[in-house]
This record gives sequence, structure tokens and C-alpha cells, in this order.
Amino acid sequence: MEYILGIFELSAINLVAVLGLSILTGFTGLFSFGHAGFMAIGAYLSAILTKNFHLPFVVGILAAGLAAGLVSLLLGRLTLKLKGDYFCIATMGFGEAVRLVFSNWTYVNGARGMASIPKYDDLSLAIPFVTALVAVVVSWNLVNSRQGRNMVAVREEELAAQMAGIDVLRSKMTALVVSAILAGIAGALMANFIGFIAPKTFNMTKSTELTIIVIFGGLGSISGSVVGAFILTALPEVFRAFSDWRLVFYGLAVIVIMVGRPQGLLGGMELTPSGFRKSMAARRARAEFARLKAEGGGAA
Amino acid sequence: MSPENSQAGSGGAQPILELKGLTKRFGGLTAVNEVSFTVTEGGISGLIGPNGAGKTTVFNLITGVYRVSSGDILFRGRSIANQEPFRIADAGVTRTFQNIRLFKNLSVLDNVLTACHTSARYGLFEAFFRLPIFAREEKALREKAMELLGIMGLAERADIISNNLPYGLQRRLEITRALALDPKLLLLDEPAAGMNPDETIQLMNLIAEIRRKFKLSVLVIEHHMDLIMGICEHIHVLNFGCTLADGQPELVANDPKVVEAYLGAEETE
Amino acid sequence: MLQFVQQLVNGLSIGSIYALMAVGYSLVYSIMNFSNFAHGSVIMLGAYFGFFAMRLLGLPFAVAVLVAAAGTALVAVVLERLAYKPLRDRKAPFLYFIITAMGASIFIDNFVIATIGPTPKMYPDVFGQGPIILGDIAIGRVDLAMFAISAVCLAALIVFIDHTRLGKAIQATAYNMKASALMGINPSFVIILVFAIGGALAGIAGVLYGMKYQVFPQIGAITLKSFIAAVFGGLGSLPGALLGALLLGLIETFVSGYLSTQYRDLIAFIILIAMLVVRPSGIMGKSSEDKA
Repeated sequence: MEYILGIFELSAINLVAVLGLSILTGFTGLFSFGHAGFMAIGAYLSAILTKNFHLPFVVGILAAGLAAGLVSLLLGRLTLKLKGDYFCIATMGFGEAVRLVFSNWTYVNGARGMASIPKYDDLSLAIPFVTALVAVVVSWNLVNSRQGRNMVAVREEELAAQMAGIDVLRSKMTALVVSAILAGIAGALMANFIGFIAPKTFNMTKSTELTIIVIFGGLGSISGSVVGAFILTALPEVFRAFSDWRLVFYGLAVIVIMVGRPQGLLGGMELTPSGFRKSMAARRARAEFARLKAEGGGAA
Repeated sequence: MSPENSQAGSGGAQPILELKGLTKRFGGLTAVNEVSFTVTEGGISGLIGPNGAGKTTVFNLITGVYRVSSGDILFRGRSIANQEPFRIADAGVTRTFQNIRLFKNLSVLDNVLTACHTSARYGLFEAFFRLPIFAREEKALREKAMELLGIMGLAERADIISNNLPYGLQRRLEITRALALDPKLLLLDEPAAGMNPDETIQLMNLIAEIRRKFKLSVLVIEHHMDLIMGICEHIHVLNFGCTLADGQPELVANDPKVVEAYLGAEETE
Repeated sequence: MLQFVQQLVNGLSIGSIYALMAVGYSLVYSIMNFSNFAHGSVIMLGAYFGFFAMRLLGLPFAVAVLVAAAGTALVAVVLERLAYKPLRDRKAPFLYFIITAMGASIFIDNFVIATIGPTPKMYPDVFGQGPIILGDIAIGRVDLAMFAISAVCLAALIVFIDHTRLGKAIQATAYNMKASALMGINPSFVIILVFAIGGALAGIAGVLYGMKYQVFPQIGAITLKSFIAAVFGGLGSLPGALLGALLLGLIETFVSGYLSTQYRDLIAFIILIAMLVVRPSGIMGKSSEDKA
């Protein structure tokens, strides 16, 4: 029982970070190799505050989100104006730099990592679930607002978005900061759930794993990210014996998805009554369009 | 360089857009050279010229996609040269593209809804927590978008993914999206490209109608001379980035320089 | 003064390896306009190919380098055909290329971990023990080999790009793919060619880097430095990548020599950020306005 609960806890924690990347990559079309860096900032900050200063968990979580958000604001200012590749390389460098800083910082025990961080007890074990729930609601609301539509417009066609009066830079910045805040909070949750953190926990593989979950669930779908986070956190636990091959499979699956079914599990579709209706309508329209075309191009 | 009958037909009408010695250089290449003309408030003007004459570059300069090398662009008397594109759009200049640029994977409604965003007055915080103002404003946005789609005859296709629309309707949707920003000046880049004569006539009527309904000024780039001659009150002709002629359609059409440029262009094609 | 010269030699040696990696990456970028983030995994494979060619097949070093280069060139081309080409054919957005490259990188790295294992492996000793002493300066034998082989490869590449028909076809395609296609240059062929060249250079870099340290599955992480070097010099510019890589190598060596080794890796990131702020187009990059 405890084991199953543990898997759910981990899924909820991963979900918080995955939602951020879903907004950043799935909805805004930006790709980050460095979000583990934001998780690390959140994790270490919460660990220090709860362990060394004996502050409550909630303070750690809020501070983690705030710190990660501020750092992302700085990173975004420097890199978001540039072409996509520069942003990717900068996030890669950022993630590695954060890891190096914590590896060399004796106050947090350097590369050996921080142990005996206060852990959630029976009651506070609810914190990750509540946080994940709030994160889902807030992310859902964001992507269904005008700000969210602007992000999608930026992803779809940047030039047309500008011509539609959208401040592209601001939309990208919003997505980056929101995703960084969520990553920072996820880091804090992780530190206080596991009770031990080390710099190598937050390497580039961690960053890309989170993005892989978004891709599995489907780019541009919040419900896809939720389903993806739970399945992809649980699967490796169930198939422990194949742990070496897990990432081999992930890597291959990512290529197959991108080449064959780029929308992923639920790309652009939401598991809600209205989302379902919409996708049915779209399917009918496609069928009708195909029929018209087959009948001799009356549509063109 | 300044053409004889430049402002002749404009009478007393106010200019909404003035280009003054507009120049754009890419490295050593001068794509647009000292171009000056005006679009009058409420008028329909045409921008024509052979391929590569710099017409789309002029649009890109007006809308802030490119930085201006020299010269100035005045919109309702105020300079908009080198402003951020989204600010120019907000100020009331919107456009369509030669090669349609819709948000392809979004529904027809969402395409228009996205462009309506400037009329919504709720911030991020209200969006995160769905405060009452969010619901009110979103409802108003949807109504506005549906109304526009109704006017443009796209209402019953609101839920279709825009990429699945037939070509002619995609062009129509792009114009609808541009109208969603409540523009004062609409720039149309070859709106009749790829259309048959019937569709072109429909489009002409549509342009005339939306100009009346939305009290718009229009600047249109076009190759279809019938469309240009049919609806434009004023024409500016470019060739190799330079002004070749400027004036009323009949005068321009009979200008020997214009005839030569077009015939010359056809020979090389 | 002595320490200065010593650091200069070390810096050029490591910088030349960065250059070998950065030039291949930049070459692909100049044609494809996207960053092949799987480049590091190809370098790692090169290190293993070279290692097995020498240890298992007992091939001499020079042959092993060629085997590794051929192997990685093949891998890079296969990657292009199977993963990137389908995306290109359907004009997929930039994001999909990046994600696919990431997927390829994860696949290759973890395939090696799952099959060969994470244990580091040592190359056999080829160049002999002990440094070469020139006056008061000691040069590591492997360092000297690294520098010499890199220099030869880079010189060969420059000659190839500037003075052969194929090289000029690459330049023309980088400048304008559509126009050069009209001139009779087959873009598909040029793309395969640059992936093959980039892959071969990556393989050689992998062998040299594996010789200097060890061979292990995470060895490709070093490619981050070459990405930074390429940005430093200007993305897509070959001379820029070369210069950026040498400068980065020198700066790193001087920082670890005069300040502290701990900051060596951090300095690369600081350079990256500083460059993005001051001159985002890099040293040799042109700040161009794309014609829409």
C-alpha cells in the first residue's frame, strides 16, 4: 500500500513539473534542456529553509517557486529574443551551470548532496497532491485564456501572431516563467518527499525525461500531460527489471512519435466533454473535406 | 521622381497612411528606394508592380516586420516606423499574407478569437483563477468572434480546423482574423492569388462591403489587373523598388512607362 | 611566462578538439538551420568505435581512427535519413527537429549503457608514456596528437570547402537552398554530404577525446562546449566555430590554471551568457534580417 502511495506521490510531483513544460513546449513551442536546473533551485532552497531554518514546508514551496521564477525572468530576458537554437543551447548551459554551482557549494555538501531533509509526515503527505491539483487547475485556466491562446498562436505561426497584435516576447516570457515556477515547486516537493537531494539528480536527463512525458501525452494537451505523468512515472516502477532499457525505449519512442504521430497520445485534444465534441466535429469536417476532394475538387 | 498627378484625385480627404521617402536596403541590395505615397481615409488604394518590385517589402516595412533603412511612415499623422509589429497592429494596421498564414491547427473560431484578444481586459492573475471578470470578458470575446464569422459567412464552419478549409475560405478567414483587431487600415497582400474569375469577383464585392461596414481604409497588392481597376480609387506602381507611377487607375493604366514595365516583365517570364 | 606558454599549449590542444566537434555541428547547422543536438551521441559512438577497433580487432591507431570516422559518418547519415528527412519532407516545425534530435540522443546514449555498460574503458597506449619536454615546457603526447590530428582534419575541411566543386556546392546550399537547387545542386545530396562530414569529424573527435580521458557513455556531454563555442563564434559560420572553439579552450585552460579548476566549466557558461548579451550573432556571425 505504502509502495503504491509512493508511486502516486512521485507521479503528482512529476506532474507539477510536467505541466510547466507542457505550457512551455506543448503550447508555446519553446524547447528547454535545462528545467532540471529550476527544479534544483527549488529543491535546494526548500531543503535549506526546512532543514537549516526549520521553516514549514509551505514556505519552502513558495520560496522555491518564487526563486525559480525570478531566475527564469533573467534567463528569458537574455535569450528569448534570439532564435530558437540559442534558447535551447542557453537552457542547456543554464542547467549544467546550476548543477555545477551546487556541486561546488560546500554549504549544501557539494556533489555528495544534502541528506536528512525534513520529510512529509502522514498528514503533510497530502501536500504534493494538493499542489498538483492546484497546478492542473491553474494550467488549464491559463491555456484556455487569451494569454494561453496567444501562446498557441506564437507556436503556430510567429509572424502571423505578431500581425494579430500579440507581443510574442511577452507570451514566451510568460510561458517560461510559469514553467520555471512549476519546476521550482516540483523540486521543493521532491526534496521534502524523498529527504535527500544531490546535484546529479538534476542533470540533463531529468530535464529531457520531463519533456518526453509531455511528448507522450501529446503536445498542446493538459489532460495528455496528466495521463502521461502518471503512466510514465508508474511504468518504470512496474518494470524494474528492464530499467536499463527504459530510456532506450523512450528515446526510440520519441523519434517514432515525432515521425509518425507528432500529436502524441492526446495532442491538441482534451479529455473533457467539450474537448471530445470539438475533436468529433473536426473529424467530421476532415471526412467531409476528403469526400469533396474525392468528388472532383468542388472545394478548391 | 515625383509623379505628376500624385495627390490629384484625393481632394480634401485626410490621409490615413503616408509613406515618406521610404527606403529599405538588404546589405548592398536596395529593395525599396525612396517610395512616397499616401492612402486616404476610407479609400481603397492599390500597390502594383512586376514580381520583385518590392511590394511585399513595403507591407513588411509598414507592419514593422522589417526595420526601415531611411524615410518615415505616418499612420494617422504619427510615425509608426520601426515600432514593434504588435504595437502597429494594436494601433490599427492589420494585414493578410501572400502565402496564407493561418494558425493552421486551430479551429476557425480560435483563429479569430486569438486576434480578438486585445479587446479583453483581464490579466494573468484573473486568468489563473477564473475570476468573474474572466468569464464576462471571454463571453464577450466569443460573441464578437461569432458575429464577425457570421458577417464573413464562416459561422457554420466555426469548429473546423482552419487547415481543412478550402483555399478560398482560408483567405476569407485570414481577412476575418485581420478584422478582429478592429483595424483602421487593412493591408491585403495578393488576396486573389490562386482564385478563379468567379471567386475574384466575389472577393471584390467582399472587400468593398467590409470597407463600408467597418469604415476601413484598404491598401491592396494585386496582380489581377481587373480587381485593381475594379475597386481601387488610387494606384501606386513600383518597379525595381522605385516609384514608377502614381495616380488614378485610368491614368496609370495608360502610362507608357507602366505598360512597358509590365510587358517587359512578361517577356522575361 | 613559462606557465603562460604551458597553458597556451594546453589550451590550444583542448580547443582543437572543441573545434573538431563545433565545426561538424556548425556545418550541419549552416545547411539545415537547426541544431543537431544528437551530435554529442555521435561523438560518443566514435570513441567506442575507435576503442573496439583497437582492442577487439587489434587494428593500428591510424586505421582505427578511419574506422571510427566511417562508422560515425554512417550513423549520422542513417539518423538523417530515418529521423530528420521524414520531418523535412512534411515541413514539420522547428520544434519537432529539436525533439527528434533529443530522442535520438537519448536512444543512442542509453543503448550503449544497456549493451556495453557504464564502466569507463581505457584506450591502449599508442603514443608512449611521459610528456615531451621542449626546453622547460612539457607537452602531453596525447595532447600533441590531438592538436596535430585536429589541425590536419580542419585544414583538409577548409581546403575541401573552399577549393572543390562539392565544397562550393555546400557553400551555395548554405547560402540559399532553393536557388542552388535551381542551379542543379541536389539539396538531398548536399544534406547527406554534410551529415557524413560532420559525423566523420565527430568520430575522430570522439577517438581523440576518449584517448585523452576514458571512454564512457556520458562522454558526449562535452559537446555542450562545442555548442557554446559555435554560438561564441557565430552559429553556422565555420571560421567562427573554429575561432570560438580555440578561444574557449584557451580561456578555460587559463581560468583553471590561474584561478581554479572548479570554475573551468562554469566559465564556458558565463562566456555564453556574456556573448548572448553583447553580440548574439557571435564573433563571425552576420546579424541578418531574414527576408520573410
